[in-house]
Amino acid sequence: MKRIVVVAAVLAFSAGAVVAQQDQVKRTQGMMKDNGKNAAALSAMVKGEKPYDQSTVNAALAQFDDTAKNLPTLFPESMKGVRLEGDYDASPKVWTDKAGFESQIKSFAKVVTDAKSKVKNLDTLKAELPVIGKQCSGCHETYRIKKG
Amino acid sequence: MLRRILLGLILAGVAGAGVFWWLTIPAVVASASLPPRTPNLANGVATFNAGGCSSCHAVPNQPDRLKLGGGLAMPSPFGTFYVPNISSDPTYGIGRWSEADFVTAVLKGTSPDGTHYFPAFPYTSYRNATVDDVRDLFAYLKTLAPVSGKTRDHDVPFPFNIRRNVGVWKWLFMDGKHHVADASHSASWKRGAYLVNGMGHCAECHSPRNFLGGILEVQRFAGGPNPEGEGWVPNITQKRLAEWSAKDIAYFLETGQTPDGDTAGGSMVRVIKNTSQLPPEDRDAIAEYVKSLAPVEGPPQPKKQDAEKS
Repeated sequence: MKRIVVVAAVLAFSAGAVVAQQDQVKRTQGMMKDNGKNAAALSAMVKGEKPYDQSTVNAALAQFDDTAKNLPTLFPESMKGVRLEGDYDASPKVWTDKAGFESQIKSFAKVVTDAKSKVKNLDTLKAELPVIGKQCSGCHETYRIKKG
Repeated sequence: MLRRILLGLILAGVAGAGVFWWLTIPAVVASASLPPRTPNLANGVATFNAGGCSSCHAVPNQPDRLKLGGGLAMPSPFGTFYVPNISSDPTYGIGRWSEADFVTAVLKGTSPDGTHYFPAFPYTSYRNATVDDVRDLFAYLKTLAPVSGKTRDHDVPFPFNIRRNVGVWKWLFMDGKHHVADASHSASWKRGAYLVNGMGHCAECHSPRNFLGGILEVQRFAGGPNPEGEGWVPNITQKRLAEWSAKDIAYFLETGQTPDGDTAGGSMVRVIKNTSQLPPEDRDAIAEYVKSLAPVEGPPQPKKQDAEKS
């Protein structure tokens, strides 16, 4: 009897952990997808496909800022080596080169803060968006793996 | 009888060795074939950026893309290559090279001491560049700062470490035919074709390769497993890029941003650092050409459902 309780408890616990981990992955991927949507909205303005709109800019930068604040918690140790659904995996370097990864996050956060005070019109957006984009690429160069 | 068989074998062996020797003689460009020319440094810079030289030859983990001391490790199925120093340093770089040495290296894949380079150096594409572009590139490289220091020797096991064998590889996969642009297209399309198939060497990563490392011609540009290790290099034919406009492609080459707001990752980040420096017309030309690549199905990708099993 005792054994059954223990086994059931362990199973329940590990099932709970798996669910929690999947939620974590969904949260991380969801945040990155939102970043993409916002970045696409900004580049549409830079490319001249859409007129400049300050509220779209503010919303995008606020979401980037939120991402920068959350990034340190978005890749917990439990996600290491997990094969994700979708086009990308997190590289093991996220955890083996933690210092490098964290310095990327800091640098992204700083650039977003700068952009929030600087971007007031199309010209300043044209100047700042590539700076933000470089931060995205800087991290994706080393810490993300494309699967397909 | 036995003696006769032996003699026959020896003769066949000698003949075989002779054919091998003849087949694998490294090609060179004679300095006498280069007429006098005043280098165009601006064109040298453009060629440098189109060729993505600094993507591999810049000293890794430091910000200066013009510090061409080499040293980057390039993993491959055949061993790890360590990118050489191509700075103007006379001892460790190319400071003492003649112009013909350089043209030979880039267009023929042969070193100044007459050995084959490994095709990790993408001369298979570079050979489509014009001699004048390569000469301007050489003049520009000479203006950059010398970087001292010898890089590591390649870590490539037998039989791939026999340089002469690369001659066979060249015979198999480098047919001597040059990329010829279709005359019916616009001037900018031709410029794009020239950049993509020559200095840009896009196909070197964006194509699947056979077990000997030769590009599978029918699937050129259709992507495949990352030759440097983990992950996948995307298909850049219209099979994958149909929803990208030429403008989207040019914008990506400038900023690294995809139309859906994603960014370039992996080695492409280093490529963008070069393409972002190109004249805008050149990026537009590349985009026009890439947009015209007929859809080609790439090799099968690892199933995404695998992800759920973990």
